[in-house]
Amino acid sequence: MKKLILIILLFFSSQAVYSASGAPCGDYGECDDFRPELNNIESLQLGTLTFINHCYGCHSLKYSRWGRIAKDLDIPDEIFTNNLVFGNDIKLGDRMTGSMKLADSESWFGIAPPDLTLVTRLHGSDWVYTYLRTFYEDSSKPYGVNNLVYPGAAMPNVLAELQGQQILSCKDVPVIASNGGVRRDEFGNDITEEKCGYLKTIEGSGTLSEEEFDELIFNLVNFMTYIGEPSRADRERMGWYVILFFIVFTAFSYLLFKEYQKDYH
Amino acid sequence: MTKKTSRLFNWINNRLPIVNTFERHLSKHPVPKKVNFWYMFGALASVVLIIQIISGIWLMFGYENTEEGAFASVEYIMRDIEYGWIIRYMHTTGASMFFAVVYLHMFRGLLYGSYHKPRELVWIFGMTIYLVMMAEGFLGYVLPYGQMSYWGAQVIISLFGAIPYIGESLEIWIRGDYYISGATISRFFALHVVALPLILIALVFMHLVALHEVGAGNPEGVDIEKYLDKDGVPLDSVPFFPYKVLNALVAIGIFGIVFSIIMFFFPEGGGYMLELANFEEANPLSTPEHIAPVWYYSPYYAMLRAVPDKLGGLVVMGAAIAILFIVPWLDRSKVASIRYKGILSKIAMTLFVMSWLMLAWLGTVPVTALRTTLSIIGTVIYFAFFLLMPIYTSIEKTKPVPDRL
Repeated sequence: MKKLILIILLFFSSQAVYSASGAPCGDYGECDDFRPELNNIESLQLGTLTFINHCYGCHSLKYSRWGRIAKDLDIPDEIFTNNLVFGNDIKLGDRMTGSMKLADSESWFGIAPPDLTLVTRLHGSDWVYTYLRTFYEDSSKPYGVNNLVYPGAAMPNVLAELQGQQILSCKDVPVIASNGGVRRDEFGNDITEEKCGYLKTIEGSGTLSEEEFDELIFNLVNFMTYIGEPSRADRERMGWYVILFFIVFTAFSYLLFKEYQKDYH
Repeated sequence: MTKKTSRLFNWINNRLPIVNTFERHLSKHPVPKKVNFWYMFGALASVVLIIQIISGIWLMFGYENTEEGAFASVEYIMRDIEYGWIIRYMHTTGASMFFAVVYLHMFRGLLYGSYHKPRELVWIFGMTIYLVMMAEGFLGYVLPYGQMSYWGAQVIISLFGAIPYIGESLEIWIRGDYYISGATISRFFALHVVALPLILIALVFMHLVALHEVGAGNPEGVDIEKYLDKDGVPLDSVPFFPYKVLNALVAIGIFGIVFSIIMFFFPEGGGYMLELANFEEANPLSTPEHIAPVWYYSPYYAMLRAVPDKLGGLVVMGAAIAILFIVPWLDRSKVASIRYKGILSKIAMTLFVMSWLMLAWLGTVPVTALRTTLSIIGTVIYFAFFLLMPIYTSIEKTKPVPDRL
């Protein structure tokens, strides 16, 4: 029985539903790990700010309402309305339907920018976190940029000013022998070969350092994870109490069962 | 009881058989005193049925059965209705857990020969419940109208198109339109929340009435009716209430722990219970790269894909379910329980379980040449288990079954 449970657990933990083929993060390979911090209110607030300033111009969050964010993230209504709510005549109870007309966006980008309320649930937060950090300069594309995770993405790198110029570069990497070790020449030096496709940021070209930029994206994706399922923090907090209730319930019903079992055993 | 209330009680009881029913089906209903954990899944299935009905009613308060509104209304339930997310996850987790406990319940039946004389009808009612559940689950999966709802429905409904002559008209009749649309959603909604639940409840009632008529089985396959006390009550039995109710309570507690772990911490079940592609609204113009059913249909989906011909696949899939109905007549063994059956039955059972699990996995992953071969092997083993049953159960040597439990 224990073995069976173990096998079942292993089966589910080792499986994740990926798209048909290839690595989950496209040409980038495995996605970078992202662990949301849904109780880190400061991070979520900063993420909201980044989203409203840099993403909301094109992307809506149409299943969410403005006021829900203010309430969940402890932002006073007045500060929220004055600094974050875009557009006139918007009430806090309104849905965040975006600020761009569908016809405009289709003529500008060829395709309407998708609604992002559920994007972290659809692709996973890992995917979004990696995607936003893997734009690189590619003059063959209409916006001058391409993306490793989603090649041919019809989206300009709106955060380029902060991140700086990111390019694909080549570097020397050790050659791996068939036994898994590094291959060496007769003098014992590592044999290297030139491989391309590595992301490199040109230093000083952006207003943020690499760490600062990663943190900005972390906060942004943290917010997007929150908006994908605003009740998730509540859910995980309540879960412990419900499980605790069932443990106590099981314990007492077991004792009662044992007591009554004496009648016929 | 005071005089007044007891008079009221008698007045009612003379007109409605309260005491009689309570005694017949609970306090005096004899059940085998020694059973194991496999015998708990029936009770758990009825618990999940109740969870599904209650959470389903609450979901209907917020759900909108239109093409434009369905997807958004699910998010409305998740966000704007107080604790709506609990209701929704209860229903989605419940759907998977319903199939989990029913599969374990069915497996118990195969393991201990619960379909043996005189329990053939109990088994057939049970199988009908399973069939209705499959339809119910499919209809329910279409309602949120995400990408996988749409394309899953597209795949399943198009199967009917493979039926000669009437196929195409049948497809249109099911959809209520030339393609999946608002008409499909509203009829699926009506079937999912009214028609099939009514049938399901009626079948569960029949399943239980038939079971109480012939009495529950036990893991030894012993006939407890052989040795009765002077009142005609089997010696190896205890009354259902309170003894077995307490037993079920422990099982419900443990089940509650498992259910809550999934519901509160892994509601998507790794993409097997809520498929990630379904977090995108249905789009008839863009086919997902990989269309897979939720886990509980996957063994049969693997069989469907194992056959290159669409009609052939449909026939195989249908036969895989249909063959379960005649198991009581395929098993020719003198003994019911696997404990006293011979080595051939044990080998057959092991291979069957392995092939079913393998097919379940194959149904969720994209097709490759090797996987198709494995699906064919799995399908052949699945059918061989049933079709060869009359042979291996009648030629093998069985062990003697004890007289008492």
